Amino acid sequence: MIPLDELLGFSGVLFAIGIFGVLTRRNFILLLVSIEIIMNAAILNFIAFAAYSPSGSPSGQSIAVILIGLAATEIAVGLAIVLALNRIIGSVNVAQAMELKL
Amino acid sequence: MNVDALLFALVAGAGIVTALGALMAREVVHTIMWIAVFFITLALTYFLLLAAFLGVLQLAVYAGAVTILLLFAVMVVRKRIFSREAAIGIGAPAVALTFLVAYLMLEMATSVYTSEPGQGYSVADLSRNLFTLNGAWVLALGLVMLSALVGAIYLAHESRGKAIRSEEGA
Repeated sequence: MIPLDELLGFSGVLFAIGIFGVLTRRNFILLLVSIEIIMNAAILNFIAFAAYSPSGSPSGQSIAVILIGLAATEIAVGLAIVLALNRIIGSVNVAQAMELKL
Repeated sequence: MNVDALLFALVAGAGIVTALGALMAREVVHTIMWIAVFFITLALTYFLLLAAFLGVLQLAVYAGAVTILLLFAVMVVRKRIFSREAAIGIGAPAVALTFLVAYLMLEMATSVYTSEPGQGYSVADLSRNLFTLNGAWVLALGLVMLSALVGAIYLAHESRGKAIRSEEGA
């Protein structure tokens, strides 16, 4: 079995990469991709802790299933916002979306 | 070093490289290709953690559905499909903050209490736990998905943009 600290380190590095993407990219689709990387880092944490659960309960995996559904929902709404932004301001650059009135 | 640790080192290395590749790619289509591989590396990690069901779910939902959804969005925003984004402004504060976050995460990871690893869970165990102890969360997820569906249709409805444009024109 993989050591827990290595898994958490992997997850932490992925989280940092996601934060880097959110801070540096301006394309809405790339922002969504960065947020997905952050969500996946969190899901990996849940699954890692479930594998090392002292009580032998798969609750961490249950929460991971729910989080996967939540992340898929989030990206669907995000892409609907991308389409609306593209239709209304003609760009998917968040720097040009000066107001939230879509 | 046992086989699991070696495989994990390979998979984690590939995961970090593909995540960075997704964010550093200049074309959006390339980003989506990188992120698809990234999702597959995470699915492999779940398999290594004996969470086979979640690995399959990761492959179906992320590597399959989410990737295709992202590609579809790029295709709809067609004129930018092969366009390059303006030069990425890698600001020093962003890089510094990224390294700080990574450092703190690694510090916490090495100081965590570790118990003995389990033998993995069967799908029956997982579903029993999911629909009894966490049943309320499943219902809440259903409600969130329903409202997201309605919200996405509302946002993407064609007449909405026209109405706003005619308001602005008036």
